[in-house]
Amino acid sequence: MNSTIVEMEGISKGFPGLQALETVDFNCLRGEVHALVGENGAGKSTLMKILSGAYRQDEGRIVLGGREVSFSCPQDAQKSGISTIYQEFNLIPHLNVAENIFLGHEPLKRRGIFIDTRKLYQVPKQILADLETDIHPRIKVRELSVAQQQMVEIAKALCLNADILIMDEPSAVVSGKELDSLFRIINSLRDNGKAIIYISHRVDEIFEIADRVTVLKDGKLVGTLHTKDVDKQGLIKMMVGRSFAEVFPPKEQGERKEILSLKNVCQGRTLKNVSLTLYSGEILGVTGLIGSGRTELARVIFGADPFHTGEIYFNGNKRKKHKPKLSISNGIGFVTEDRKKEGFVRCLSVRKNLTSIILDKIKRWCFIKEGEEKDIARKCVDQFNIVTPNIEQEIEYLSGGNQQKVILAKWINANSKLIIMDEPTRGIDVGAKAEFYNLMRLLVKQGTAVLMISSELPEVIGMSDRILVMHDGRIMGELNPSEATEEDILMMATGQAKKDQGKEQHIEF
Amino acid sequence: MNFNYLKQNWTTSIVYIILIALLLVGSLLSDMFRTSNNLTNLMRQAVALGIVSTGQTLVLLSAGIDLSVGSVISLTTCLTTGLICGRESMVFPVVTLVIVLALLIGFCNGFIIVRTHVSPLIVTLAMMSIIQGVVLLYTNAPVGELPSSFGFLAWGMVGLIPFPIFILAAVAVAAILVQKQTPFGRYLFATGGNEEIARRSGIRVDRVRIFVYMVCSLTAALTGIFLASRMGQGDPMAGERYMIDSLIPPLIGGTSLMGGRGGVVGTIAGTFILTVVSNIFNLLDVETYWQWVMTGSIVIIAVAFYGKETA
Repeated sequence: MNSTIVEMEGISKGFPGLQALETVDFNCLRGEVHALVGENGAGKSTLMKILSGAYRQDEGRIVLGGREVSFSCPQDAQKSGISTIYQEFNLIPHLNVAENIFLGHEPLKRRGIFIDTRKLYQVPKQILADLETDIHPRIKVRELSVAQQQMVEIAKALCLNADILIMDEPSAVVSGKELDSLFRIINSLRDNGKAIIYISHRVDEIFEIADRVTVLKDGKLVGTLHTKDVDKQGLIKMMVGRSFAEVFPPKEQGERKEILSLKNVCQGRTLKNVSLTLYSGEILGVTGLIGSGRTELARVIFGADPFHTGEIYFNGNKRKKHKPKLSISNGIGFVTEDRKKEGFVRCLSVRKNLTSIILDKIKRWCFIKEGEEKDIARKCVDQFNIVTPNIEQEIEYLSGGNQQKVILAKWINANSKLIIMDEPTRGIDVGAKAEFYNLMRLLVKQGTAVLMISSELPEVIGMSDRILVMHDGRIMGELNPSEATEEDILMMATGQAKKDQGKEQHIEF
Repeated sequence: MNFNYLKQNWTTSIVYIILIALLLVGSLLSDMFRTSNNLTNLMRQAVALGIVSTGQTLVLLSAGIDLSVGSVISLTTCLTTGLICGRESMVFPVVTLVIVLALLIGFCNGFIIVRTHVSPLIVTLAMMSIIQGVVLLYTNAPVGELPSSFGFLAWGMVGLIPFPIFILAAVAVAAILVQKQTPFGRYLFATGGNEEIARRSGIRVDRVRIFVYMVCSLTAALTGIFLASRMGQGDPMAGERYMIDSLIPPLIGGTSLMGGRGGVVGTIAGTFILTVVSNIFNLLDVETYWQWVMTGSIVIIAVAFYGKETA
């Protein structure tokens, strides 16, 4: 039973300016759950994209069922029995479940023109029943919950007769009960001789579900182990290889006076009686699971979304009109979660992005004083160490870290007294992260208030002066980062009382 | 099951309920409305718009748009009458030629769109201009004539029912079958819903898009041939109004301009809603330009309604 189903040998892959993988070996057995772990940017996704045909390796070979294979596209890999379930699902929302499961390979009637509708619904019905879900094959995908969509993706893979299922952070989108049933399904797939490659960075889960674990770091193989031969601490050490404390600057605060307070703010079902106070010269960390209302909170404070009841005071004044334009002129800045969509104007230059919110200040009548604009832009580039060939470079060609610095510089330029940062370091490499953290500290020392929303717990603990934990639209409590552990935060974030020794703890990196 | 279907497709059902309501309103407002003369007239009026809108719907489903249909209609009308020129023997070769030509234009539309990645709006708008120019070079006044037998297409009766309604029915049924029962139809929805996912599912998106523009051009050609038969002469501006008008029934029927949503069933209802409204206005002697005001209002209300529903 436990024979090798796929073997990857000496895989290397480079991208311009980055060696993503360096001679990595990886293998997976039939009837095994093999976890693939590592920090962001360790090369997990790249390795799996090579296996699933989305990328081609520069060097190395893939042996599948004893034969060397080379895939030119994901469909080739699918035909050979390798299916991937990505974090972002490959489902068309306006088609129904069965139509999605068979998309691209519809069963045809004997004549070969029309779709065999009976088979179209029968097969998925059987598969979904085997998965012990109650999803009806005729329901439209957009009406399903995220967890149900994940089930549909699994059903789709099984319908393609996949022998190897690659699951990219499946637990990132489900929790609690849904996660239990996901694990039950993974276990039954393993018992049926399928190979499951489970990408995750939650250590607890790996010990719960995986037989073996392969650790990658900076594109290199650290090792492959049986989960029973290693403990949590050992695994973390393999993954990290350095202590987080080095990254974070010491916590110095600036002058402290109340700048923002919320009193019983409610917004439909997303925010329930949220009250908080934010002082200048501090970083207030707000954390919680997906859907806990943290991003909604940020948008309400900034005025991007309305709130229904409650009061918001800024600098001691009650805010009546609540619009982004007013927030900006009052000195509130917002570094959004998805910088590509909401943070900058993609095809404008660094200069134009830097000055986009202070155009009122640098115009004569209705014309922009370009000389002054250029001076400001040059000053920012120097001051914040933004790596760009020149200020006329379009911002989309900068690295993520530098894009983020441009966005931050933009708000600082506008004399923001309060800057809201939603997941400020997402998708930024470690070096740029440290630089960004230093910049945040510098701001705070100068008396700016920072509201940092983050789901990366080391960052929350390492950067915040105070931590608020949200769950289900409520603020569950405040923690002191010098005492709080990641477990404490997660306990609150999952809505369990502090003394209740809950079972759903996930250590997150 | 039947009830379930209604529930799942309640937007489509609503369009049909509105159509039935309009028919009732029409018969209340005017005694003329119910006369068989008026009803056959009404059906005949719906045919041209219905055929071309069906093709347009399929393009819209793929998240495209075809603005060249109007000039393709003008072209096919003029060529049909101009080349046949009253000779019975020329009917078959000319009709074949016209259809092949339309398919070629559709192919060009699709091919340019998938190769250059220029927006369909621009490509087909440019194509509209090119073809309209060619038509006006060919003739700038109504042209040609047709053998009397050709008139059957537009004016013939089968029992109490005007013949052209069968053409519309055939086109609509074929389109619905393609849309609902063939992989190609499924791929239209997938492409329009999310092109990237469609591609990742192994669908040859480019082929789907080229093919759907060909189908749309084909429906425009059928409309052109039908209009030739109705008017007996080829008017170089005959198709002009269909550039925009062909979009209206799909929009009323619940097809999204963003693609991936809607379908031909709703479009047919949309066609008849427009035709009935215009018919009622005519019977009540309301000035034609009020119809424009009305049509625009209907479109805004319908699209706002769907937008809210599916946001």
